[in-house]
Amino acid sequence: MRPRFQHWLLHPKVTLAARLILGLVFIAAALPKMADPPAFAKAIWAYELFPAWSLHPLALGLPWLELICGLALCLGFWLRAAALWIGALLISFCLALAINLARHHPVDCGCFGASAPKTKAEQLTDMRWLILRDVGLLLLVVQVLLASTSRGIPRVDQTPESRK
Amino acid sequence: MRREPGTTLLRMLALAGLAASAALIANALAPPARRLAWLGAVLPPPTALVPSLLPNPPAPPAPAPEPEKPKALPSPPPGLRTPASPPVMPPAPTASGPIREVNGAEAWKAFQSGVPFLDARRSAEYAEGHVAGAFCTPVWESDLEDRLIGFKATRRPGPDDPIVIYCSGGDCKDSHLLADRLLKEGYFHLLIYRDGFPDWVARKHPIEKGQP
Repeated sequence: MRPRFQHWLLHPKVTLAARLILGLVFIAAALPKMADPPAFAKAIWAYELFPAWSLHPLALGLPWLELICGLALCLGFWLRAAALWIGALLISFCLALAINLARHHPVDCGCFGASAPKTKAEQLTDMRWLILRDVGLLLLVVQVLLASTSRGIPRVDQTPESRK
Repeated sequence: MRREPGTTLLRMLALAGLAASAALIANALAPPARRLAWLGAVLPPPTALVPSLLPNPPAPPAPAPEPEKPKALPSPPPGLRTPASPPVMPPAPTASGPIREVNGAEAWKAFQSGVPFLDARRSAEYAEGHVAGAFCTPVWESDLEDRLIGFKATRRPGPDDPIVIYCSGGDCKDSHLLADRLLKEGYFHLLIYRDGFPDWVARKHPIEKGQP
């Protein structure tokens, strides 16, 4: 049973799907933030977790890191490095949301750019769902890392048959 | 096919370097409204703004004493409806602090008295509609300094002259951030329009559209 599960878990098609999902999510998240860094800086500031001097460098650099890592996952190069970065980012996002949730401080996620105004209760509910979403994405990162540890990772245009 | 950990680390650093380089180039090429200074953001945390800067409770202000003649009435913009009552002086500075919140009625009185209005929202929001005659001073945009210089050159406000600052009302803290900045520059009569532009529109007060 266990080898079969492992075989299924590390199947190249599963890995490919995980990479594409992660990559596309991070590309989609990066684009609105790259288009409007001041709005993203404001979103980071609202978290009340970062020193003032770090707001602008984070707002400028983070979206590009998301984009480049997302592209790397989609296109199939430097997969471990890109997956590790994305895993680190997801853990940071989870922590930032969890800390603010614990202190009942509602924040607009800022994950995909600015969103419509919401009540505080709605924001707190959203934050719980966002943590769950990030944990789900983290599981995909683990899959990609496990697969890349056990063997070479296929590119988008590779099928299991063509790799043999 | 197993790689050494050092290779992965180097590649992670390379990805970060690539991202930083791309961010540098993109920021240099961005228009002022989309640009950020890499260094120099000195912002108080959001929760530090209201308690420390607004020591007075949001109670209705004491009615101003017998109003004197307003010192500088703005020329009413086209379409401005004539106020039913004579102009009243803007809320006077109180002993409670240099910054305080005002409601829509007080903001309207200040407007009638010719008090300058600063719009702390993004310049794109300003272009979509703003208080008639307000200055565009988006607190999150890189050209704020230039815009404040322009405002000071135009209106030449003294340290004790009232200035009304507004943003989008609700949870918006941009007006508080701008007030914090102006306070550090030596302005001691800052009135934050609590409910902001949505309230101004709801009250059907004069607005304008377009770029500054």
